[in-house]
Amino acid sequence: MVEQVEQQQEIIEEQRRTIEELETPVIQVWDRVLLLPIVGSLDTARAQKMNESLLDQIVETRSDVVVLDLTGVALVDTAVARHLAETVAAARLLGADVTIVGVSGRVALTMVQLGIDFSGLGITTRATLARGLEAAFHKLGLEVVPRRAMTEAAAAYARNGGREE
Amino acid sequence: MARVPIIRIRDVLIASVQEELGDDDVIDLQERLNDIIEHGDIRGVLLDVSALETIDSFIGRSLSDTAAGARLLGAETVVVGIRPAVAITLVELGLQLPRVNTALDVDRGLELLARLVAASERVIPVAEEETMEEREF
Repeated sequence: MVEQVEQQQEIIEEQRRTIEELETPVIQVWDRVLLLPIVGSLDTARAQKMNESLLDQIVETRSDVVVLDLTGVALVDTAVARHLAETVAAARLLGADVTIVGVSGRVALTMVQLGIDFSGLGITTRATLARGLEAAFHKLGLEVVPRRAMTEAAAAYARNGGREE
Repeated sequence: MARVPIIRIRDVLIASVQEELGDDDVIDLQERLNDIIEHGDIRGVLLDVSALETIDSFIGRSLSDTAAGARLLGAETVVVGIRPAVAITLVELGLQLPRVNTALDVDRGLELLARLVAASERVIPVAEEETMEEREF
């Protein structure tokens, strides 16, 4: 009986650790670009852990841009907004810019009704992850160009004997 | 007293903090930096604080003041090497240093400084562009 309870406790502990690991993944999506997808609710303890792992990753990967994806967040209230603002401010102290993406229309409406204004906190926002990545590339001076356009440019360059048109 | 060494490389000053700073040390650093900027034709200042395990409100505010002072003298300031734990503490203290440029390390700081200096110099090359266009005609 005691053995059984201990075993169950062990399983619960293991699952808790797994959930903790899943809670705050930080993904390097490109050189110097980190992605932080947030799923579920953001309480103080989780926000702090997220903050710590993000800052450590910024240092480790020497990243300049962080894209914070809120697609999986159902509600952004004033407390969550404050946590996000702190994350952005702390990342900036390390020299990284943060862009927030994936705020759904419904969430955005609730935020406006609550009087939360990210722009007042100096936070960049984009509608989708794709636009957020684009903004990140722009900050790094990169550009995504269709391959065809590139080969045409290269061909024109060769035609002119190495001179640009 | 921990005297912070200031190294000049071309028109950039690098002040590398080696140990925890007292209030007097910060003021001393500020004064020496301003002295050099005033007479030295300096365009950028890098403050390396990677050795600091704590930044209190006085040092935090002094960093802002130093940056603002240097800007008045025509030099951009970048604070580099703030540790993650220090960043979290600063934000919790409400010291988000909004008007200080920050970078991950000295390397990235120099990169940012080059961009900032280029942006502030953009006024001058306009005249150069005009003369270049005239030459083409």
